[in-house]
Amino acid sequence: MWLPIAGLVVGIILGFLVSVEIPLGVVKYTAIAILAAIDTILGGLRAQLEERFDLSIFITGFFANTVLAALLTAIGDLLGVDIYLGAVIAFSIRIFGNVGFIRRDLLERYWRGARQREAAGQASR
Amino acid sequence: MALFPSSARPWRVTRLQVTLAVILAAAAFLAVTQIRNELLIRQQLRVPSQRLEELGFTLQEMERNRATLETQILQLRSQLHAYEQGAAQGREQLEILSKHLERLRALAGHTHVAGPGLTVELDDSPLPLRPGDDPNTVILHYTDLQGVVNDLFASGAEAVAINGERVVSATGLNCVGTTIICNAKRLAPPYQVIAIGPPEEMLAYLERPDSVVQALRAFAFPVKITKAVRVGVPAFRGSYRFTHARPSGPFE
Repeated sequence: MWLPIAGLVVGIILGFLVSVEIPLGVVKYTAIAILAAIDTILGGLRAQLEERFDLSIFITGFFANTVLAALLTAIGDLLGVDIYLGAVIAFSIRIFGNVGFIRRDLLERYWRGARQREAAGQASR
Repeated sequence: MALFPSSARPWRVTRLQVTLAVILAAAAFLAVTQIRNELLIRQQLRVPSQRLEELGFTLQEMERNRATLETQILQLRSQLHAYEQGAAQGREQLEILSKHLERLRALAGHTHVAGPGLTVELDDSPLPLRPGDDPNTVILHYTDLQGVVNDLFASGAEAVAINGERVVSATGLNCVGTTIICNAKRLAPPYQVIAIGPPEEMLAYLERPDSVVQALRAFAFPVKITKAVRVGVPAFRGSYRFTHARPSGPFE
């Protein structure tokens, strides 16, 4: 389980080491894509905690969400409507929801563990 | 606490973890790059990227404005250049022109003039009107005044004024009731006609037999002609307006 965290750290370090100039016109797209990616990762974490994680769903969700968000922004640009605001709101709501579920799952896990330790302690006595 | 319950099967775990690691690395890379770019934009431009489009639009407009202003500057500069050249060339011509203009002003009656001449004083007849007499026989008419002025001009007068009103090319004399209008100004008797010109000749022409002055005298109008070494004639106070007439070449 340390490998994904290592990947995260490597990505961050790579981002600091390699300076990639994002063109001004694309900044909006990448921003929304990053939002989508964060949402997908949090969703995956939640699924993992609820023990219904599926790699193919995670991967397809990651790419589909990212591309869709960028596409939506592009369409909004074409139409002259700030559709990306809608995507930002949707992803933000989902991120909040996922974080909430993750928090609850972690707490439940902690409580269950505490109860088990308690029970184990009682059993050993 | 096992976050990954499938850790019992090593191969699957490895593949899953590698995939996750790659995806997380990509996401982290993207996020960090984005943040760095945004920070760079803010540092360099001191403007958040959301306002860039709006500012770009403003910039385009300003650039368009600047282009038109630059063409204007070019035009004005060439104009200025032309003027400067003209000024350098025209300085000598200007003196000639101003002399010419002075002469023309004098001709048009726009300047006060003084010189030798004579004064003609005219008044209505002092004879008392008897019942049944025509009052026109004792009143000076504009035709009488016009006749005197015509005689003066015919005998060489260069500037003529009636009661301080300069007689110019656009002057018309007219009768309104018992007064005479000259240059849109009412004149009342007695009339004093001042003329600048050769005094002897003008006097001789006015006093010739059958002249206007002789006729007036015959009807008992008081006419007094005095020569003067130096008389003054005021400038024409009105203005010439040419709304219909335009300068043109010889017209046939």
